[in-house]
Amino acid sequence: KAVVSTQSTGHLVDELLSSIDQPLKVAKDPKKNKDYLLCDYNRDGDSYRSPWSNEFFPPIEDGNAPSDRMRKLEEQANDAFDVYREQYFDGGISSCYFWDEEHGGFSGAILIKKTGDLKNKFRSSWDSIHVIEAHEKGAGRNAHYKLISTVMLWLQNTREGSGQMDLGGSLSRQVEKDLPVTADMFSHIVNIGGMVERMENNIRGILETVYFGRTLTVLNDMRSLVDLESKKAHDKLNQ
Amino acid sequence: SGINAEYGSSGINAEYGGTPALVTKDGSVDGSKVFYDPGSNKNFTYKYLTGEATNVEGGTRDNGAEKWRKAVEDALAGYLKDNFPAFGSAVYGKLEGDTVSLTVAIENHKYNPDNFYCGKWTSRWSVEFPTSGGYAKVSGHMKVQVHYYEDGNVQLHTKKSAEESVQMGSVEEGARNLVEFIGRAEREYQLGINENYREMSATTFKSLRRALPITKNLVDWHKLHSLNIGRDLMNRTT
Repeated sequence: KAVVSTQSTGHLVDELLSSIDQPLKVAKDPKKNKDYLLCDYNRDGDSYRSPWSNEFFPPIEDGNAPSDRMRKLEEQANDAFDVYREQYFDGGISSCYFWDEEHGGFSGAILIKKTGDLKNKFRSSWDSIHVIEAHEKGAGRNAHYKLISTVMLWLQNTREGSGQMDLGGSLSRQVEKDLPVTADMFSHIVNIGGMVERMENNIRGILETVYFGRTLTVLNDMRSLVDLESKKAHDKLNQ
Repeated sequence: SGINAEYGSSGINAEYGGTPALVTKDGSVDGSKVFYDPGSNKNFTYKYLTGEATNVEGGTRDNGAEKWRKAVEDALAGYLKDNFPAFGSAVYGKLEGDTVSLTVAIENHKYNPDNFYCGKWTSRWSVEFPTSGGYAKVSGHMKVQVHYYEDGNVQLHTKKSAEESVQMGSVEEGARNLVEFIGRAEREYQLGINENYREMSATTFKSLRRALPITKNLVDWHKLHSLNIGRDLMNRTT
């Protein structure tokens, strides 16, 4: 039965945030013939646990496996996020991992990866990493959730007009919320799913503004596409 | 060599007597801290930590190339004023036998830590032609870097190379043609980047992740539970 303490989770999140500059890696579960995403939360040595078969590949003895309760939560989360992923990403890969916390409550990681089709010489990819911490309170009627989300977005292109271009990086945001829960474990999935969805929608909007607005404005501020001397003369005339 | 590679390949601004001077590999005098500003024909010592130019003293100009170098510098000044809100630039020149070599360096940058961003434009053009005129071999590259770092880390890196044969004719004509080519190449590059952005935001980005599901509504997470009930039933009966 695997238990990861809150302290090391926080530490892992910090590490994860500071080391995020590589897109998520993918491996194939040979038993279920399905792709899954790799991160520190499903890792044990050089092996990674698949959320589909719950087995490590390459196989190892006594790998860091979740408790039965967390495994059940994982199965429900993976099924639900499969649907979410299809509705927003129309493809891609998702993987959810959950684990008990030493001092009560549980944590999870929800990963999503979408690689864009090579179109007009553009390569692109979106990688989400959502880390959630949950603590039940109020005699089991509410839970407090903390979500830290990072989205990596990469766009690359080689074209005659613009040469070689790379636009990439990541943005992070976090949110905390108290939400009602029931005896049914799935109420956690409803809560977490809603938080992740709203968070991703929010970050998507910010990415759009920062990537395609802000970075381009900086370029066009450094060199003007409008003839500056003519503009000065024009402005003077219109004073 | 004491030159930081970043400075070596492009340039940054130094100021002395109110005139910005570029710090470039082409202008290095001692391979370390002393640089030459061709416009004023002066050497200066560059203080990397403060960005100051100190110890200004007379430089060594290659007079053999000067009439071409000066003509290009003058023609370039008009182009720069028209296209760059701010800039640093340098035109280096030397004569080797019958061959004139000029190097045009242009730089502009933005530094805005309050708003968590910075950016840099650098372009560098190498020109070679015989003293008799004819055609000049021009080759160079343009680079743009932008860094945005509020609650994240986003970077734009782009680079483009270009080459051309430019007709030299008289000294003034040659300078005009050269600057006209540079202007055209740099404008085309900037337009190309802008065009890429239009396509990225209109198509590429949208096809990665929708703003909302096709239903135009948020996911009904409660509904997804019945999937699991169905799955549990299936598992029990098999």
